Amino acid sequence: MSVTMSTTFQPNSNNNQTVIVKAERINKSFGRLHVLKDIDLTVKKNEVVVVIGPSGSGKSTLLRCINHLEKINSGHIIVNGRMIGYYERNGRLVEESERNIARQRAEIGMVFQRFNLFPHLTVFQNIIEAPMNVRRSDRSAAEADAMRLLERVGLADKRDNFPSQLSGGQQQRVAIARALAMKPNLMLFDEPTSALDPEMIGEVLDVMKELAQEMTMIVVSHEMGFARAAANRILFMDEGRILEDTTPEDLFDHPREERTKAFLSKILH
Amino acid sequence: MYHFDWVIFFHYLWPVSAFQDPLIRNGLITTIVVSIVAQAMGVIFGLFAALGKMSKAPVAHWLAEAYIWYFRGTPLLVQMSLLFFGFGVIHLYDFPDIHIGLITITGAIQAGTLALGINEGAYMAEIVRAGIESIDVGQMEAAKSLGMTYGLAMRRIVLPQAAKVIIPPLGNEFNNMMKTTSLMEVISASELFFAFNEINARLFKPFELFIVCSIYYLVLTTVWSIIQARIESGLGERKAMEKNPGMLSRLFAAR
Repeated sequence: MSVTMSTTFQPNSNNNQTVIVKAERINKSFGRLHVLKDIDLTVKKNEVVVVIGPSGSGKSTLLRCINHLEKINSGHIIVNGRMIGYYERNGRLVEESERNIARQRAEIGMVFQRFNLFPHLTVFQNIIEAPMNVRRSDRSAAEADAMRLLERVGLADKRDNFPSQLSGGQQQRVAIARALAMKPNLMLFDEPTSALDPEMIGEVLDVMKELAQEMTMIVVSHEMGFARAAANRILFMDEGRILEDTTPEDLFDHPREERTKAFLSKILH
Repeated sequence: MYHFDWVIFFHYLWPVSAFQDPLIRNGLITTIVVSIVAQAMGVIFGLFAALGKMSKAPVAHWLAEAYIWYFRGTPLLVQMSLLFFGFGVIHLYDFPDIHIGLITITGAIQAGTLALGINEGAYMAEIVRAGIESIDVGQMEAAKSLGMTYGLAMRRIVLPQAAKVIIPPLGNEFNNMMKTTSLMEVISASELFFAFNEINARLFKPFELFIVCSIYYLVLTTVWSIIQARIESGLGERKAMEKNPGMLSRLFAAR
């Protein structure tokens, strides 16, 4: 019995045991404002974690700390087995060199609320920019990858357009392709659909759902449909703390905390 | 009643006759070349000063601040005199003439150009900084999230966009520069104004000659403003093209 259990279970669980992100007791303040309070978070390979919470709860800051766009005040974050942004010297944490931080960030894709595509470059150039100048891949390989990614997000015909010629939904799909071109093993999404007109949200979520099947993702978003369809876990954050960490079904159907209930009643109408 | 000397006036106004005098010919070329070189130096110094000023490293920051403070806070004429006469006296650098083939670059021209360039850099620094700061911080963040270092992101992402903001005021600076080169006259650099001063010393016709001299500068700045307008409308067109799809692509666009 135990033998069959282990043989059927082993490959899958092994796969799921690889820890991609491990954050321990992280604290972050902006001046006197204490935004993250003793946050612990572990994300394993291929997990899709959705983070919800009222504005100002610290969810975007948490995401930005994971690729060191924000410095943390204490604690540490390990991404892909290495501490991000800092190294230890004589028991103290010292900030990494810019080059090493850049190297670590190259393995982490990020998609922003406001897309942040490079407006002076075409869609195609946006995608090959980092592979060519950061990874130093050769042009033909970078271009083949870019074309494949554009097809995947359904925008192959827009390759020579400038970002300003695209709709918001199209721009966000390009931004996803741009991040994927670096072949990251973790993708961070910071409210990817909040700046979009309602009719364009679906096309972006479809791309994300498909990606969720093979990618480790942390998604700050209030798209409950996406959370139900694609997330393994959902975190509810409030006032700099993670109050709930459970499955989407559990959170939506049986929220434990009063604050979760109050928040859900507001966003679910 | 003053007798206006039309002969001298037209002799020096009409290029064919005026350029027979090497003073004027070389003076005009010197003014144009010095303007371009000093402005280019100004852009480079200004870029580094702007990056220094925005830098979080205290040394770079304060060096840039001190540079801008000094060169914007003292007269260019004084800076130029200090560089040319002062450095010569203490033998830090004597500004010897440089001979390249048939061309001689006098020490005065070297010192004048250098002073103009360094001084211009202090003004360009603010223009470059304003250009960089006009670019959304999301651009730098996106570039960094893709694994770019600050330097690479600056070079590939931020500066190309900032250039569009910098070019119009840069054009105005160049217009100023062409006029400001006339200050080099005090250190006897043989530019355009110097040439007319020399001729005036010979002929003593200051009214006619300095009117002609001002017309030369007027032609230079006017021609430049036409070129500048062309460049700026070119930038505008490219911007418009990025913003609005053309009529045809709008008609046939399949979204």
